[in-house]
Amino acid sequence: MITALRWLAFATAAFAMNFPILVTLSTSLKSTRELSTNPGLWVQAPTLDNYLAVFQVTDRLNIFLYLFNSLSVALIGTVLAVALALPAAYAIARGRLGERTLLPFIVNLRAVPLIIFAIPLYMMFQWLALLDTRLGLGLILTIVNLPLALVILVNAIHDLPAELDEAALMDGASRTQILFRVIAPVCRPAIVTSLIFGFITAWNEFLFGLMLTTSKAVPITVGASFFFAASGGGVQWGMASAVMIVGALPPVLLGLIMYRQISGSMTAGAVKG
Amino acid sequence: MTKAQQRPLIQEFRLLATPVVLFLLVFLGFPAIVNLIYSVSDVSFETLRQPELSGLKNFAAVWSDSAFWQASWFSFRFGLLTAVLECTLGLFLAIFLSPLIERRSWLMAILMLPLMVAPALVGLMYRLVLHEFVGPVPYYLWTYFGASLSFLGPGSAFWTLVVVETLQWTPFALLLFYMAYQAIPSEIAEASAMDGAKSHHRLWYIELPLMLPTIVVALLIRFIDGFRVFDNVYVLTGSGPGGSTASLSIYIYEAFFKQGAIGKAVAASVILFVVSFAVLYGLNFIASRRKGAIR
Repeated sequence: MITALRWLAFATAAFAMNFPILVTLSTSLKSTRELSTNPGLWVQAPTLDNYLAVFQVTDRLNIFLYLFNSLSVALIGTVLAVALALPAAYAIARGRLGERTLLPFIVNLRAVPLIIFAIPLYMMFQWLALLDTRLGLGLILTIVNLPLALVILVNAIHDLPAELDEAALMDGASRTQILFRVIAPVCRPAIVTSLIFGFITAWNEFLFGLMLTTSKAVPITVGASFFFAASGGGVQWGMASAVMIVGALPPVLLGLIMYRQISGSMTAGAVKG
Repeated sequence: MTKAQQRPLIQEFRLLATPVVLFLLVFLGFPAIVNLIYSVSDVSFETLRQPELSGLKNFAAVWSDSAFWQASWFSFRFGLLTAVLECTLGLFLAIFLSPLIERRSWLMAILMLPLMVAPALVGLMYRLVLHEFVGPVPYYLWTYFGASLSFLGPGSAFWTLVVVETLQWTPFALLLFYMAYQAIPSEIAEASAMDGAKSHHRLWYIELPLMLPTIVVALLIRFIDGFRVFDNVYVLTGSGPGGSTASLSIYIYEAFFKQGAIGKAVAASVILFVVSFAVLYGLNFIASRRKGAIR
């Protein structure tokens, strides 16, 4: 009896929380004719026409460009963040450097409304000609990803036995050599977790994409909203739904495959951060 | 190791931390300085390079702007309400569903799915969900109740946004609480069962107190994220109707991009900057003192 209640609660919660995704998926499979007659969840005659239409490039809408932009900025923002965070994490965990200054500052960054840096960054990017470039957006996403990468890596290095470093020091290795030859290989799971987490965060980012890009470097989260800006004749809901499903798919797939690592790191970032 | 031996080691550690420090100085330090200078200057898009000092005029303009206070109130109320709702729901689900999830961890993957979708996309999805002609929610309400609501109209827009945010982020609280619940040693349950404690007593007197630190952290994280909300609100309502759903983030964005009021936008950024860092460092201070007390 109680088990049945639990299943009922699970089904209700799963349905309610995933409801917008289900609706969008179902709408994306409806033909234009069915869209005007059947707003319900059930699709009477599923079709892939909307997906074919979304991948037709026009001068106004280019989904390939948006996806490529999202992929590039997410890769820059993720790899650079980990590359910056790993040496710093080692210095913090083993050298006890900046444990009370740098670490809390970067961790607090996760909680600060990032809009406060957005306006000067916009002006700075104008001077540096970084507006509407993938590199520019990637650099900002690095800032967004730094805090969690740092927390995950500091925790991972803290958990390693100090004997590991000492043995290598005895052999005459420098700290930098130890970091890249001993620590980094052992920390691979933590590095992979911060890469995945960073990729999902960066792919899903919207505010800076909206502010810092206009056409050439537009990411998919912003590009998807272009499909809602109707070009006469109202929003084409089938296409708009298809583009949202396509845009949501990469992080969702990554998240589903790696959800164990992600759930672990979410707790790490929350509890120790 | 002697002091003399330690010194080159520390220098090497400094070298390793240098890249991140330089990066932060360029991408946050410089913007922070620009913020400070512009906030006390008379500046427009034409005079970006020659800002003229104008004292605290910009701050006065923000201070007397009722839209600023409306946005602050929205952010605060939105953050508080969604944090409490998400954590209450998440706590209930984490404990009630844990017997199911323990055996089938893929159930958690289904519940976590909304966390992987961009909030901006979820916001756009609700434009479809709530649309009066193609949206299923108004359709089913008409079919079964013969009436529907204007979900994004005045009065109801705020509550719609609260529900949208809560449904997407309850899984976050659920996940944190599930992990904390699983981390409670099973000996505690066994020992209290031997002592004849009823399960709701065990929950109230043993398990919930053990989970309290996690509950506080989850409330805090969700409050902060709700307070600084931008993406889903911006794509769903803009800031309307009538500016009633502008969060502080949206207020600053619109002051800059829509009204070109650089001085006002920057002054509001500085206020938000000072307040958030003060609050965060205050919290860090309290947390470290409490840790020290426990040691």
